[in-house]
Amino acid sequence: MINSKMIIYSKENLQFYDIHYPALSFRAKTFNFITGKSGCGKSTYLKMLNGIIQPAKDMIFFNDMSIEAYDILAYRHKVLLVPQNVYLQSGSILDNFVFYYNNREQALPTKDKIKYFLDICCIDKPLDENCDHLSGGERQRIFLAIFISFAQEVLLLDGPTAALDEKTSHDLMQNLKTFCAKNNLTVICVSHNQTLVDNFADNIIKLGEKS
Amino acid sequence: MIEVIEIQIWQFLCIYLLLLLILLIMRKCKVDKSKILIMASIKMSVQLALAGFILTYIFDNPHLLFTLAYLFAMIIFTIYRVLKQQKDLNIRFKLIIAGAIAFSGAFTISYFIFVVIGSNAFTPQYVIPISGMLMGNTMTGVSLGLKTFNEALKDQKFRIEALSCVGVSADKILLPFVKQGIETAILPTLNSMLGMGIVSLPGMMTGQMLAGTLPTTAILYQIAIIISICATVCLSCFIALYFGSKTLYGIRSQNIQLD
Repeated sequence: MINSKMIIYSKENLQFYDIHYPALSFRAKTFNFITGKSGCGKSTYLKMLNGIIQPAKDMIFFNDMSIEAYDILAYRHKVLLVPQNVYLQSGSILDNFVFYYNNREQALPTKDKIKYFLDICCIDKPLDENCDHLSGGERQRIFLAIFISFAQEVLLLDGPTAALDEKTSHDLMQNLKTFCAKNNLTVICVSHNQTLVDNFADNIIKLGEKS
Repeated sequence: MIEVIEIQIWQFLCIYLLLLLILLIMRKCKVDKSKILIMASIKMSVQLALAGFILTYIFDNPHLLFTLAYLFAMIIFTIYRVLKQQKDLNIRFKLIIAGAIAFSGAFTISYFIFVVIGSNAFTPQYVIPISGMLMGNTMTGVSLGLKTFNEALKDQKFRIEALSCVGVSADKILLPFVKQGIETAILPTLNSMLGMGIVSLPGMMTGQMLAGTLPTTAILYQIAIIISICATVCLSCFIALYFGSKTLYGIRSQNIQLD
C-alpha cells in the first residue's frame, strides 16, 4: 500500500497570501491526515486541491497532470471536497439527497443505498426525518453521507468530526476507513483530534511547523 | 386673478402639513427616517417644479429632439439611481445593468408609442408621461430585484460553497438566485394588477379622467401601461440578473466571487 503511486501532489513554493506550503504528496488509496494550529492554512490547502481557491499555475498535480489541464467540474467530481460549513435545506434527509443529486444532474441512488451511506456516517434515522430538528452533529454526518455517496477517487475532508463526541468520531472514522479501502479512495482529512489521527492515519502531515 | 392663484397655492401648501403627521408617528415609534422624509420631500418638490417648467416649454415648442433629450435624461437618471444603491458590484455587472435598463426602457417605450398608440402620436404629451411611468417602475423593480439577489447570495454562502465543492456549474448554482430576484421585482406590479379597478384607480387613469377623458378610454391606456410596466420590469431584471450573474465567476475556474 505504501508503494502505491502518487495520486496528488503540490510543489514547493505553493503559497496563498502569506501562507507558504512545503512540497506535499499523497499516495493513492491511503488515509492521510493534515494537522496543525488553526490559521495555518489547512482548509485553504484542501480548497486549493479541489480548485475552489486557485494558486499560481502548475503547482498542484493530479495523476501527473497539472489540475489546470482538467475540466474543473469533472475534476471536482474526482477530487471531492467536503467543506467545513454544513449546508442542508429544510426538509427531510431524503429531500436533501434529492437536492444535491438534482444539482449534480445525477439519478438518485436507491433507498437502500442511501441507508448504506447514512450507516457509514452512524446515522440511524428514517429517511423522512426532518433535518431542521436534528442536532449539529447529526446534520454534519448527514451532510457527510451525501458527499461520500458522490466519492470517486479522492475525498478531501475538512474537519468531518468537529461537532461529534469521541465515540461517534471513532466509529465514523472506522466505517469511513473501511468504505474507502473497499472503494479504492484516497482520503486527505483535516483534523484536530489527535487520538483519531494516531488511530487511523497511514500518513500524517503537520502544517505550520518550520522544518 | 392673482388672488385666486394665491389662495390655490396656500391651499396646496396645506398638503405639506401631512408631513408633520408622518414625522410625529416616526418620532413616536422611533422610525429613524425623518431626515430622509424631509430630504425626499424637498427633492421631489424641486424636481417636479423643474419638470413642470421644462415640460411646459417642451409642450409649447414640440420638437423631436427635445422629447428624445428628455427620454435620454430619464433613462440616465434611472440607471444612476439604481447603480447608486449597488456600490459593491463589479464594473461589468454595472454595465450590464445599465444596458438592461436602457434597452428594455427604449424597447417598451417604442413598442407602446409606435405599435399601441400609433406613430402619429409621437408628441411629448404622450411620450414623456408614459416613459416616466415605465422608467419609474423599472427603477423600483430593478433595485428590488438586485437587492434580493445580492442579499440572497450573501445569506446562502454555505449553499454556494457546498454546491461548488460537488462540482455543480456556477451557472446552475446562480440560477435560483436570478429567479428569486425577478420574482421579487415583478411581485409589486402583479399585486397591483390584482387589486386594480377594485381597490385602486391607478394614477394614469385618474389623471386622464381629471382632465376630462371618458373612463372607457382611460382604462385602455391604463391596461396598456400596466402590462408595459410589467414587461419592462421583467425584461430589465432578467437581462440585468441573468447576464450580470455571469460576471461573478470565471468560465474556467467556475468559482463564484461574492465580494
